Amino acid sequence: MKRRVFLRGVAGAALAAPFLSSLHEKKAKGAASTTPVRNVFFYTHNGCLTDKWFPKTTNGALTASDLMAGTLAPLAPYVSKLMVPRGFRSMNQYGSGQTIDPHDQACGSKLTCAPIDSANKRYATAVSLDHVIAEAINPAGKDPLVLSVGAASTSIKEIISFSAPGTAFPATVNPTTVYNQLTGLFGSAPATGGTTTVTPADYHVARGKSAIDLVSGDLNRFKALKMSGADQKRIADWLDLLRQTETGMGGMGTMVSPSSCTSATAMAPPLNITQAAVTAGSPTGAIATGAFVGTNNTGTGAANLATSFTLGGDMMMNLIALSMICDTNRSIIMLYPGYVTFNWDGIMHTHDHHGLSHRTGDFSVGGSCGVANVLDMIQQIDSWYAGKFAKLVGLLDSIGEGDGTLLDHTATTWLPELSDGATHNTNNLPIMIAGSANGYLKTGQVINVDTGTPDAGKSTSTCQDGSSGSIGYTGSMGGNTPINKLYVTLMNAVGMRNADGSKITTFGVMDGMNANPGISNPGEVTSLTTGK
Amino acid sequence: MPNWKAGVLVAATFAAGCTGAIGSSSDTPAGSKGNGAGQGSGGSQPSGSGNGSGKASGSGGSGVSGSASGGSGSTPSGTGGAGTGVGPGSPPSGDCTPGIAPTSQVPRLTNAQFDRTIRDLLGVSALSASGNVLPSTLLATDQDGSMTSLAWSSHQTVADMIATQVIGDATLKKKFISCTPSTTGAGATCFHDTIVAFGRKAFRRPLTSDEVTAFTAVVTNGAQITATGSNDEISQALLYMFLISPSFIMRAEITGNADGSGHYPLSSYEVASRLSYTLWGSTPDDTLSAAADKNQLTTPAQILAQAQRMIQDPKAHDMVASFHQYYLLMGTNTRWDQANKDPSLFPAFSQAIVPDMENETLTFFDKVAFGGGTFQDLLLSPKAYVNASLAPLYGLKAADYGTDLKEVTLDSAQRPGFLTRLAFLNAYSAYNRTSPILRGAFITKQVLAVPIGSPPPGADTTPLPSTADLDTNRKQVDQQTSASACATCHHNFINPPGFVMEAYNTAGAWQTKEATTGAPIDTVVDAMIDGQLVHLNNPAELMAKIAASPGAQQQYANKWVSYAYQREGDPNDCGTVSNLTAKISAGGYTIANLITDLTQTDSFRMRAEVTP
Repeated sequence: MKRRVFLRGVAGAALAAPFLSSLHEKKAKGAASTTPVRNVFFYTHNGCLTDKWFPKTTNGALTASDLMAGTLAPLAPYVSKLMVPRGFRSMNQYGSGQTIDPHDQACGSKLTCAPIDSANKRYATAVSLDHVIAEAINPAGKDPLVLSVGAASTSIKEIISFSAPGTAFPATVNPTTVYNQLTGLFGSAPATGGTTTVTPADYHVARGKSAIDLVSGDLNRFKALKMSGADQKRIADWLDLLRQTETGMGGMGTMVSPSSCTSATAMAPPLNITQAAVTAGSPTGAIATGAFVGTNNTGTGAANLATSFTLGGDMMMNLIALSMICDTNRSIIMLYPGYVTFNWDGIMHTHDHHGLSHRTGDFSVGGSCGVANVLDMIQQIDSWYAGKFAKLVGLLDSIGEGDGTLLDHTATTWLPELSDGATHNTNNLPIMIAGSANGYLKTGQVINVDTGTPDAGKSTSTCQDGSSGSIGYTGSMGGNTPINKLYVTLMNAVGMRNADGSKITTFGVMDGMNANPGISNPGEVTSLTTGK
Repeated sequence: MPNWKAGVLVAATFAAGCTGAIGSSSDTPAGSKGNGAGQGSGGSQPSGSGNGSGKASGSGGSGVSGSASGGSGSTPSGTGGAGTGVGPGSPPSGDCTPGIAPTSQVPRLTNAQFDRTIRDLLGVSALSASGNVLPSTLLATDQDGSMTSLAWSSHQTVADMIATQVIGDATLKKKFISCTPSTTGAGATCFHDTIVAFGRKAFRRPLTSDEVTAFTAVVTNGAQITATGSNDEISQALLYMFLISPSFIMRAEITGNADGSGHYPLSSYEVASRLSYTLWGSTPDDTLSAAADKNQLTTPAQILAQAQRMIQDPKAHDMVASFHQYYLLMGTNTRWDQANKDPSLFPAFSQAIVPDMENETLTFFDKVAFGGGTFQDLLLSPKAYVNASLAPLYGLKAADYGTDLKEVTLDSAQRPGFLTRLAFLNAYSAYNRTSPILRGAFITKQVLAVPIGSPPPGADTTPLPSTADLDTNRKQVDQQTSASACATCHHNFINPPGFVMEAYNTAGAWQTKEATTGAPIDTVVDAMIDGQLVHLNNPAELMAKIAASPGAQQQYANKWVSYAYQREGDPNDCGTVSNLTAKISAGGYTIANLITDLTQTDSFRMRAEVTP
């Protein structure tokens, strides 16, 4: 049952929860069911120890014991809802497309399948998948939810989302920001003191309308001016945001929200999204700008980094679940930065993740192993991220929706920047998909989509003691099916279709960068789908 | 000590770090206009057939060897640089068509600008309603696209918190409303006067009568839109409305009187906004606003007078710090932040002192820029800023210093300029050894602006040879890069400056012997600078050469233009870059003057015709 929900925006600017609007043309004609299907990416940097990450089975049923033996042990409880596609390669591995920087290329091209532009901050030259999906299936076609932890960054090294060619869409890193939008519980206290009002009163609504009138008046004055197309769009899009809010208040009957989108749901287990919990996971000041402990004169920066990665990241996951419950967003990214030194949850490193992944302990590539016990340290980080992915999967699977769980109605993909962090290869990517996207994707399986037996890789073949020997080759062979085909599969899984109702078959280009997309066999990967 | 990290940071393309030992890479495809080294016939493109910005009398396909043999003949005029006004860095006149770059007419305040603007307008630097964080902590991350629903929601939340905080504090409240509203008597015009006066500041221009009417309606409807209709509640609502207004959030440039040449001169109000956001990253002050009110910001001379006043304000220091971070790829997640050395080999280093190193270098830039220094001083000044943590690596006694950075004059033979300060030396070297390639590539690409492109795939895993005869790091790297695919870039461009910098170990200490073997450090090189092979004996000679290098001077000018105008290497700005370069070359041109000269261009006080 759906009912109208009054989310109290700030100062009583009542914001109705989003709705299925006719304001935007959507391609998702196929999403006829009332259960929304969401796409989620969980993104980590610097590769992993691939030969510890991959399940032992290279094609066939995925079992808990497959997972227990390696890095993915925390995922074992959810094995029936997991699928490990083997054999994908993401576009623009350093030297296969461009030769700018392996990380910048990996991030910029990951969800765009397009080259990056060295004259424009190395940003990607195409819009990213999360925006394409968002425009098609999000309520009102609005922007995806891109979340991270740590320090806010506009560097290509921390950006995988692009709202337009050349326009980065950096992540939001403060849970409080997301919380404020979702629940609007940070209403204003009356200026003369007293208690914060939390009950919707008429004056909040009136004030909200007054604000909308004023702001749209301002914007309409700009709209009347001669400006570039890009500037016109900025004004028009802002007016659109106001209109969405305004119609939400006018009550034309089309504004509905899931009945479970309430503050009670937010505050109860398993979400436990209370103001105190959100505050506990939010920064109190500057986040450490370096990768090391005790930065910025006081310990505040480092403490904030640790808080952000632990309580903050976990709260972001809760907010992601709440976004699904409230259906405010169906295209979601959770990414973790790559250039931090782990000093939390029992991990006390003195080198940052990126430096460890090189085996040298710093930015330099190749040469000799440089850090004692480096593989152990990388493993600690890999296991930590597996635990976080398991936490997200477990959370989504613990929340009922319809005849299943939230997880069942998502494709939640652990998508890595690289395979091995020292070799910087993007073939044979360690990818895991949780959730069947409402039955579209197979689960409980390892599915090899490429030719040949998948290679576990040579991540642990060198630097066993860490401080001697040559790093050598730590990559893997094979696994070169373009990831574009996985993306096409996901697009279809969440209900996107072409205007004529046919399935999506292409997304982006492969390593042949110019006219040749390099994908000789377009279309989704049917071996991953149930055929539903 | 100002918090440098709160500066206005342009998202910088920072050092790749990862590709082999190359400091940074830019993908310069063959044939593109070189950005200034002007090496005549393709000499600046050792890897290919690119035409440098000099007269390309051949494809330059053979790269360096081609230019070495043809060098003397093909170097374009102006090599002499100083005084000619056209250094080799500037393209021949036929290639540069100065213009006014198209710009957005509705850029939004960045988060850093928002924080400063709120600080200067209302005195709020920490949100008491939310853990005393900087206001922008609750906003969405900066991005150039349209306003998103998350960002818009966050603006409303933050505006409400600020308004509540300001009205709830007797001192801050006066920054918004300094009279007491009443229905009759002296207070009868209070709200109106406040709307006009604060509106003038918030919108950075006078409100139109329509706008005054719209805000007046907020007051008129006060009883309906607040809990009890009290003056304070109405004030809070009014301030909230200003802070969520697009005309506050956007630095609009909409004056529409074309000058006939296809350009639109900005109004004095718009020039004031450009001045204050360029020089301070914040809103105009009262003096600047008064000049705008009198329409006295239309001529270069008028603009210069304000700029020269503003550059002396403490608020300009953050901008200068931010610029140098942009110029040198400093910032979050860069090598500068992440320097790390083997503690058993370098006990004087610890990660805890890296912020001190960075602060020292930023202080160095600050003192040069605000002390009447020049670009050349950046490369040559022997001043350092030392505390007890940094002293040992400079060969000084820690006991002579406290925790604060103290100005010291070092030996100018050993420590000329910022490239011999600890921050750079530590950032561009490895965990347990120096990296001539990292230091050399940074100097070559970032400082001398030679576009050497990226290493071929696999180059980064070329092993470092370690036979007994290679008794210095230099010899090892020289051998490592001697394959024919490597030698062209490395032996002529990248390695030589790096070998000169072998005078400093990986933690930045001066060294005359290789620590592992005792072999003497050899800093004598023949380096390719500005298209000519130059014999250099030591760091002092290298820095002198860089300071005098037209390529390096043009790079500095180019970066200032890019930073100040927020557009990277736009061809429309070629004339500006050229003019500034010539002034640097002539000598005695202070950085402060360079900065104020950035406000003197046509493109500063005009905007381009719009292409819809």
